[in-house]
Amino acid sequence: MMENREIQSILPHRYPFLLVDRLLEIEPGKKGLGIKNLTASEWFFPGHHSYPPALLLESLAQVGGIVLGSKARSEDPQSQFTGLFAGVSDFHFTRCPIVGEQVTLKVEATQSLASLYRFSAEVFVEQEKIAGGQILLSFVRRASGSPGSEPAGSR
Amino acid sequence: MEDLFHRLSHPFPTVVIDRVTEVEGGKRAKAVKRITANESYLAGHFPGEPIVPGVLTLEGIIQSALVLVEESHSRGKLICSLEKVDRVRFKRAIVPGDLVEFLVDLTNREGDLWVFKGRARVGEETAAEANLVLKVVVRDVGFEL
Repeated sequence: MMENREIQSILPHRYPFLLVDRLLEIEPGKKGLGIKNLTASEWFFPGHHSYPPALLLESLAQVGGIVLGSKARSEDPQSQFTGLFAGVSDFHFTRCPIVGEQVTLKVEATQSLASLYRFSAEVFVEQEKIAGGQILLSFVRRASGSPGSEPAGSR
Repeated sequence: MEDLFHRLSHPFPTVVIDRVTEVEGGKRAKAVKRITANESYLAGHFPGEPIVPGVLTLEGIIQSALVLVEESHSRGKLICSLEKVDRVRFKRAIVPGDLVEFLVDLTNREGDLWVFKGRARVGEETAAEANLVLKVVVRDVGFEL
């Protein structure tokens, strides 16, 4: 389990673009199970009730960024890294989650080639699978102690 | 543009594109967006290092595709939903001061499913690419006489 406070020590994302609330399960470098609650006061809801598909992809990428970042931190607590959202493949949407729902974000690393990591990604609302496909993240570690805090997670 | 989204039932709170510069119903659309440091989402992406989130660039491609759908159907209410994205690649960071151009081509139509090839570029550089499938359902309003 990882609370939002710790998520913010790994991801550089902040309001209005921190799109994951908590990790229920995490296996650093391998997989993560995150949640994002959807509530009416969020900036993207005026005028409609659906969580936009583009932001759903970002939520998944952020869980992937935490999976990779937590591995780097477990090996070196001072480690600095840069994670970028590199791509999406064969991703299907059955429906958008809506206000009042809790979105479950499941990602699992399936392949890595140099700095590129491929994840299988699935989205659930309770037991219903509503979207899924593959996401690609680029993740580069930098020498610890180098100046500046570069963005981790996804772009 | 807000009216357009309403007509297309598109769930996004903000219009990402500024202007449609070219649109040919059933074929292609071009749109542009200027990026400024004053945009709200840049405050959190990232503090002190503003970079346009890749997914917002993807949203620009989606909205350009919606403009093309709209231009291809002058009547009725359209219910559009994003069914699939594929071959999405984010290749270049987009930052304040940039002008982004979105180019979308309709490559196939099978029943309700419209298939698009989209690209975002800054100058001559490709910043992002994406293939999209939108489901478009036309609901005619009222009667024809």
